Amino acid sequence: MLLSLSWLKEFTPYKGSVQELAHRLTMVGLEVEEIKRPFAHLSSIVVGHVLESKAHPDADKLSLCRVDIGSGEALPIICGAPNVAAGQKVAVAQVGTELPGGLIIKEARIRGQASQGMICSETELELGTDSSGIMVLNQDFAIGASLTQALELEEYVLDIGVTPNRPDCLSVAGLARETAALFDLPLAMPSLKLEEDQSVSCPEQVKIVIDDPAGCPLYQARLISGCKVAPSPANIRYRLMAVGIRPINNIVDITNYILMELGQPLHSFDRDLLKGSMIRVARARNGMTFKTLDDQTRNLDENDLLIWDELNPVALAGVMGGADTEIHQQSRNVLLECAVFDPLTIRKTARRLGLNSESSFRFERGVDQAGSRFALDRAAELMGSFSGGRVAAGLSLAEPRPYRTRILNFRPQKANALLALNVDEEYCRKNLTLLGCRVKKAEHGFEVEPPSYRPDLEREVDLFEEIGRIYGLDRIPEHLPRVKKALGQKPLDNRFAFTSKIKQWAAGLGLNEVINYSFVGMADLDLLEIDRENRVKVFNPLSEEQDVLRTDLLPGMLQTLRHNLGHGNTRLRVFEVANSFFSDSTSETGVKETDRLAIMLYGLRHREQWPLLDQELDFSDIKGLVENLVTIYAGNRARFKDLGKHAYLSPAVLCVYDNLNIGILGRVRPEMSRAYKARKEVWFADINLDRLETIHDSRQISFEPLPRFPVVKRDMTVTAPLNLKYDQLVDVVYESGLSILEDMTLVDVYFPQEGQEKKMTVRLTFRHPEKTLKDKEVDKVHQNLADSILKKLPVKFS
Amino acid sequence: MALAAEISKNLKSLIQEFEKALDQASSLQEAEEARVDFLGRKGRLAVIMSQLPLLSPEDKPLIGRLANEVKDSLNQILNDKIRNIQHKAQEERLAVFDPSMPGRTPDTGTVHPVTRVINDICAIFVRLGFDIVTGPEVETDFYNFEALNLPPGHPARDMQDTLYISESIVLRTHTSPLQVRTMLKRQPPVAAIAPGKVYRRDSDLTHTPMFHQIEGFLVDTQVSMADLRGTLTAFAHEIFDPGVKVRFRPSFFPFTEPSAEVDISCVMCKGGGVSSDGGPCRVCKETGWVEILGCGMIDPAVFQKVGYDPEKYTGFAFGLGVERVSMLKYGIGDLRMFFENDLRFLSQFV
Ligand SMILES: [Zn+2]
Repeated sequence: MLLSLSWLKEFTPYKGSVQELAHRLTMVGLEVEEIKRPFAHLSSIVVGHVLESKAHPDADKLSLCRVDIGSGEALPIICGAPNVAAGQKVAVAQVGTELPGGLIIKEARIRGQASQGMICSETELELGTDSSGIMVLNQDFAIGASLTQALELEEYVLDIGVTPNRPDCLSVAGLARETAALFDLPLAMPSLKLEEDQSVSCPEQVKIVIDDPAGCPLYQARLISGCKVAPSPANIRYRLMAVGIRPINNIVDITNYILMELGQPLHSFDRDLLKGSMIRVARARNGMTFKTLDDQTRNLDENDLLIWDELNPVALAGVMGGADTEIHQQSRNVLLECAVFDPLTIRKTARRLGLNSESSFRFERGVDQAGSRFALDRAAELMGSFSGGRVAAGLSLAEPRPYRTRILNFRPQKANALLALNVDEEYCRKNLTLLGCRVKKAEHGFEVEPPSYRPDLEREVDLFEEIGRIYGLDRIPEHLPRVKKALGQKPLDNRFAFTSKIKQWAAGLGLNEVINYSFVGMADLDLLEIDRENRVKVFNPLSEEQDVLRTDLLPGMLQTLRHNLGHGNTRLRVFEVANSFFSDSTSETGVKETDRLAIMLYGLRHREQWPLLDQELDFSDIKGLVENLVTIYAGNRARFKDLGKHAYLSPAVLCVYDNLNIGILGRVRPEMSRAYKARKEVWFADINLDRLETIHDSRQISFEPLPRFPVVKRDMTVTAPLNLKYDQLVDVVYESGLSILEDMTLVDVYFPQEGQEKKMTVRLTFRHPEKTLKDKEVDKVHQNLADSILKKLPVKFS
Repeated sequence: MALAAEISKNLKSLIQEFEKALDQASSLQEAEEARVDFLGRKGRLAVIMSQLPLLSPEDKPLIGRLANEVKDSLNQILNDKIRNIQHKAQEERLAVFDPSMPGRTPDTGTVHPVTRVINDICAIFVRLGFDIVTGPEVETDFYNFEALNLPPGHPARDMQDTLYISESIVLRTHTSPLQVRTMLKRQPPVAAIAPGKVYRRDSDLTHTPMFHQIEGFLVDTQVSMADLRGTLTAFAHEIFDPGVKVRFRPSFFPFTEPSAEVDISCVMCKGGGVSSDGGPCRVCKETGWVEILGCGMIDPAVFQKVGYDPEKYTGFAFGLGVERVSMLKYGIGDLRMFFENDLRFLSQFV
């Protein structure tokens, strides 16, 4: 809501500074977001006096003028306007001035003659639409005075963020009421001087029929005949411009003027274009179309409320008028509508058609039904006086649902308890009264009747808010509460604690946390050949790139990779903890959300820095991280299985713990990662944190006594074909069931003949729980183990 | 007699000669050579000692003692020399040792600034006794709107441009549904804080379609606006700076009554409205204040939805934008940096 300070002062004699007003309004919940000077860009334009104007010797249409701007020597100015003449007071832009359109005035020579400035037209100053000639000013204006001062445009406009519960403050009058209450000032509504033309009766000319009382509790109209459509007086135009409304003509401008002043939306029809003598308010029919005054044809349905004449719809109630009955240059007779419509109906139509107007905005929030008659009368009076029209006697009216007052109980001690205040009854009574309430003493406090313009005051607690607001929430004392809790109370939720641990783990291992959007594009998932089943689509996405909730964290990770590569960050070790989303009809929301951890590695294993080694990443890097994670949070080692085919990983490896799949890891298929500008291998792991947490929560640590006898270690080197998996060796060793085998570690792998075979050296650790092993015993066990390996695997010992 | 005197003389001169020999030695190797020469099995001391059996029984103990003393001295001298050489070698090594060479440092990991701020804020409220709760990001209309006193068609729904999954399922627009979910699970007194992702259909310089919020609330008998003010003021002092000024402006949220927005004195210009370069402060647009959160006393209508008696219980709730706090706390100017995940950005939050 844009509030003009000069307009406000017509209602209440505020004398303080604009900053003080802004501050006080802000502190009662009417947040002033900005203080504007709407005409500040004209501040360097001055009033000049044309001393002389004669024809340019070498140009037909130009005049050579000498203009006194009150600064010594008169300025030579060449002017092209036909209406310039000696003796006029005019608006002068001096050399160096920038006009609203961006033109900077320079000293010039036109066909041999000097010009040091410009005499401006309304259009050039953006003060109007008349470009036929220069703006001729009032003779009383002082030479050299600033134009904005002379035209009384030194205006302040407050841009106020009005919350949806305060429709009353969407008007100058409403804000003046708050201002008057805040500063204890009188409030004066404009006085009505409406003169009716008794020869014409409005109710006889137009009858109102309301078919839908729920949609339209009140419809009233006045007839103004014999109008002459013309521009509004300058002060009306400037005032509308100051609050961001484009002046149109003396009919439309008045409806806008009253809308801003009193918050009541109005609509004017060209009476002569209305068929018959009846206005009817009724819903549209499904499949109907209607041409609104912006010349758009709208498709309507049975929820839309329409204003009809005897034959046709003529306005989309509360939203926009129709093209066929709008005021035009030749309109003579105006039917001025002032109605109240159901907020929800207006909201639905405005939203569906994308037609949000100042008018629908106010109807959606609720207009003051009891105050609407005053708005109609004032509008009719102004319209008549500015357009030379006569206001017909009486008004056409139907009010199937008159405004009903509410009575609320108000208990001061309850207000004090909630607000932690100690104000007395008199304080409450006085302030509620200042806000327009009627207050009556009752048994436990007061009975309060809120004013008709405050639809937000519905319950006792709403009145408490008013007391707090006026007292100043900022003056309420401060107290630190004690949270009562019992030791036996289990936490409601462990998820946050668990994901925090995971994040600390990852950061501790040198990974950087990233956060990507939860939505990606269908195309992103498709590119990675991710399953199309069970995706959750966003119904009204902002763009195609964000039209589906991610079922997988990889697309976001790859976007992160692309961004970083584009900015010269060539080594990435990142992780993300976030939800994946799948549709699932058994869930309350139809969506199953699973917490996941994704890790992505790219670029060199180490930073390029001595003494770190310059090495490329391989599978062992990503696997090492996953092994570490599972060991720490599950308590034991995971198994890793080759998954074979996978949508986007190759190789793709499954991480299994206790027969539960915990996640997958591997290398992103290069043809896919290349689409994200990756030139090296992208290593990725995706861990299901829901499952890991379940295992983590059920985990119990049980201490094992430290061994008392020493170990014996033996190395064993096997030569194996390249396709033999290390796990096969591990399985054979552990299946042998040796009770004294404590551990087996791979200590070396090498390839003596490239591409033919590999040699793996494992270190076996033997220990007996109750005695020191003798070399001979170990030798025997070792030999047996070697024999069984030879029997079960295609290997040899070397 | 002559033999004893000669042996004695030879023994005594060994000391000087050994010192002389060692003076020439500059390495452990050379010291070892000198040792073999003097103290070895066939060294000069041994040669002299081999004459001892020839001595008379009276001289034998005397010379024997002397020989042992000389042997001890030689060993002493040798040890001093070895220590000396070792010390010198160490000195030399130290002279070329360069502690400014890089260490074998693991990579420096970081958590996202959003996570950092969430952790900081949660830590404060956990200390005050609040539980941390989490909930679904895809919500029903009931939890996201209706139970929060936002019935269908309520104009306040415009305050949050919503991303829908279907007509009745939304991407939660705030973390406030956690108020409802938690209150349905537990009777008062209840105090909880709920961090998480939220979504709005909005994308420009100052809005991203996904961001993070933290909801907090406390319900008990006799909770008042003073408790809300005390809690949030203490919170602002702790998360920003004890010198920060806090102000409560009345506002409107359908699920609180009264409602307020909380501003803190601008952390950039210290509330003066003028930035360090003398120009207008952009962070607070010269007002000296920046909004950090919305709050209020929980509306009785919400209590009715969860079955709490509004005559018996009161409570407060607040919701704050994590990115906003993070921007103010770390001086980040551009909201979109949070989701670009540029390493040069992320690595600053160590
Ligand atoms: Zn500032």
